[in-house]
Amino acid sequence: MRRYTLPLTILCVLLALPILAQTSRKTDSKRATQMQMANAPQDNTQPVAIRGGKLLTITHGVIDNGTVVMENGKITAVGPSASVKIPGNARVIDANGMTVYPGLIDSETNMGLIEVEADQMTTDLVEISDEIMPHMHVADAFHAESERIPVVRVNGITNVIVAPGSADTLPGQSAFAQLDGRDRDEMLMIKDIALPLNFGPEQRRRGGGPGAGGGGRGGETRYPSTRMGLAAQLRQTFLDAQDYAQRQANPQSSSADGQESARSGGRGGRNGAGGNKRDLKLEALLPYLQGKKPVVVAAHDSADIETVMNLAKEFNLKVILNHVTHSQEILDEIASWKVPVIVGPIYDAPRPNERYDSVYSLPGELAKRGVKIAFASYRVEHNRNLPYAAGYAVAFGLPYEEALKALTINPAEMWGVADQLGSLDVGKTANVVVANGDPLDVKTDVKEVFIRGRQIPMENRQTRLRDQYGGSNLPGVGK
Amino acid sequence: MSDALLPRRGLAIAAILLLSVACVLAQNPAAPPQSSANSGPANDVVIKGGTVLTVTHGKIENGSVYIHNGKIAAVGATVNAPANAQVIDATGKFVMPGIIDSHSHLALDSDVNEATSPVTPAMKMIDAFENTAKGLYHALAGGVTSLLLLHGSANMIGGEAVVIKNKFGLSRDQMLFPNAPRSIKFASGENPKRVYGSRNQLPSTRMGNFEVQRAALQEAKDYMREWDDYNAKVQRGEKDARPPKKDLKLEQLADILRGKLLVQIHCYRADEFLTEMAIAKEFGYKVRAFHHALEMYKVADKVAAEGVGIATFADWWGYKYEAWDAIPWNAVMSMRKGVKVAIKSDSNDYVRRLNQEAAKTMRYGGATEEEALKMITLNAAWIIGVDDRVGSLDVGKDADITIWDKHPLSSYARVEKVLIDGDVYFDSSLPGYGLTKWKNAPMSDSQGEGDDEGVVAEEVR
Repeated sequence: MRRYTLPLTILCVLLALPILAQTSRKTDSKRATQMQMANAPQDNTQPVAIRGGKLLTITHGVIDNGTVVMENGKITAVGPSASVKIPGNARVIDANGMTVYPGLIDSETNMGLIEVEADQMTTDLVEISDEIMPHMHVADAFHAESERIPVVRVNGITNVIVAPGSADTLPGQSAFAQLDGRDRDEMLMIKDIALPLNFGPEQRRRGGGPGAGGGGRGGETRYPSTRMGLAAQLRQTFLDAQDYAQRQANPQSSSADGQESARSGGRGGRNGAGGNKRDLKLEALLPYLQGKKPVVVAAHDSADIETVMNLAKEFNLKVILNHVTHSQEILDEIASWKVPVIVGPIYDAPRPNERYDSVYSLPGELAKRGVKIAFASYRVEHNRNLPYAAGYAVAFGLPYEEALKALTINPAEMWGVADQLGSLDVGKTANVVVANGDPLDVKTDVKEVFIRGRQIPMENRQTRLRDQYGGSNLPGVGK
Repeated sequence: MSDALLPRRGLAIAAILLLSVACVLAQNPAAPPQSSANSGPANDVVIKGGTVLTVTHGKIENGSVYIHNGKIAAVGATVNAPANAQVIDATGKFVMPGIIDSHSHLALDSDVNEATSPVTPAMKMIDAFENTAKGLYHALAGGVTSLLLLHGSANMIGGEAVVIKNKFGLSRDQMLFPNAPRSIKFASGENPKRVYGSRNQLPSTRMGNFEVQRAALQEAKDYMREWDDYNAKVQRGEKDARPPKKDLKLEQLADILRGKLLVQIHCYRADEFLTEMAIAKEFGYKVRAFHHALEMYKVADKVAAEGVGIATFADWWGYKYEAWDAIPWNAVMSMRKGVKVAIKSDSNDYVRRLNQEAAKTMRYGGATEEEALKMITLNAAWIIGVDDRVGSLDVGKDADITIWDKHPLSSYARVEKVLIDGDVYFDSSLPGYGLTKWKNAPMSDSQGEGDDEGVVAEEVR
């Protein structure tokens, strides 16, 4: 026994080596992060003036030679350089030849919920065990330290909706994030900002796995396997929630149907005889049924859009439409509903009976009808390319000013944060971007990003790899 | 699927086809008349007055391109064209060669991967090519005139690619790129690992990957020796000489060793490029290009020295671990080390705007306009082996030409016209689809994901 001690010790050390190595690597990267933070301005207390750039204010036009002053995280002055007074203690950034605009807002991402898509251990997209999961909060999964965030924000995207995956009818509540902050709580400006409601072929439980027309895995087919099922289940869920609200308000009125409806598909209504036992699932729906928060109704086809909009009207939901990809024949109807629309992805393939540009031209067609539109990048690999969708929509008929608005003030209004974001206006949060040209063009390079007045380090995992392998001398790299 | 279901499936397909026809007829009353459908190209065509982006010899403002019998006959500020030549007025427009996608799985329905064995070189993608796929139309409207349609990445040695000219509306055989070199698809890394590993089969590791590849190539060597022996016997006049069995799979592998196939390798990581080049050396063949090649910037000098090109993405990253070190400067960093770089789509979506993807290389690393354009034209043509015939506006080349309303290297450019072999196939000013040769039959709506990743993922799940 004894003579095994030495080999055993060696074995233990050998086994521990990778762990030790990993620990030291972690320490290294932590150190790197600290250094990086030390290099960057620590806070936003010193005023910053961005002088001499072309300002895209969004709300009051373009100022060709303008200056923006930021102080304590807010914009304190915007105007022609000649008339803006720069505080004596301000750090001045020369933006001559640059374009200056408010931080862009992405109206749907899965940011912080996916790191490496192929590895399920690094994704927290959606619970697929049930279709009705309004009590899931992406705020509980948002990974503030995701390597993806610094990659996206250096392209001038400062705020995003973090939405759960779309495999469920009601997959959970979205959050509104600001892409800088020391931790999750600092980054999530609004935790349960909206409830996505997805309606279409993807939510059917048809087995075959994702891509085969169903969120169900492992070949299992179960209720609701059709659109009829999806609609019935939704309606029952909303009825259960209304009933729940009523009984919570009046604990005495114990209607016999409380348990009945729970059995018939609502699945949420596990109310005891007293009727005042808390039900997290139904409770989560109440702010939405009371019209206090928006429901983001996602559907691609006109028939699906009409089905679910009828349901939304029946329950007085406050709606933001999402996608409307194949709805050319009801655009006037959509406009008549007076609801904002997150349009796209405009890259979705047209149907065989549609012209090649039928989806590219949707933003322009909706804007023409007076619909308030916003853009989203959706898929996590392409979040940084958000502005180019707007640019391409301009190529297919969307007025340029509308395209800019659809990335700034429109989503700010849709998400209820227009008092803080979406334009270069005094009093708003100092989320400001400096680029060497038109923000919507693929060739434009973003040079500086300020979030809450803090100058963001223009680096990330990718810039570090670039520099490590000799790319730091490329033109346009660095300042 | 059981046999009993087949007739019903056939009926369903017929019903879908009928419905599609009805839809097309219902939704496209303004479809263009088909008078031009069967007429050949005009013998002489001049594209006049546009900014001509030649790709090989700069930009000609207010230039002209003269096309004679489907070939480029002159390019310049002025050209000598016959007075009766058909004139396409490109005043204020931009004229560039047709875009070439050097990595696509378009129009292969869901027949991208024969994922039943890691070595399937006898597969020929032409057998899956579906010339009515709507994706071809979408690509055409994005200015794409030639594509390399590849086998997927489930297998170490997949199958033989097909090269097409995007003459959407013509028959399958009329769409083939005449006399294009043959290419074969290899793959290594996570996809074959996942496909076979999930079945508890070889290869489930990169060790397994490359051993499977070596074993197959060795088998081909042995096969070639058997034939050499036989041929020698015949030459010596030995009466009892019996020929070895012709084996499709081994014939294809032997053609790799004989240098008759361009080897196109799907792989991501720096170590894989080195391994693949070492195996190629060991067995005596050349690698034409690494596809995806997201870590090329790490070893670009070594790969450049071997004359191997890459077909890569502009900025895709992080969808799996072997794509985790991807950086958008990869294309330009590799190019500066001497690697021939093409930007490809591998996607039914991105194939429609490869011009924007190429433009990103100007932002990420400072590619010049001409360098950026080369990545989606001449360099892509080189990867396919057709750079002597397409990929630039030079005299003698095929008249595969696109006309844009704005400079194509921007977010705002739209394709207005596409000519292939001097004949117009797409014209955005036409009502309906904007197609000149399409007979308004139903397009095929195959739902294949159109990329290596999606197709393989489907196979596995």
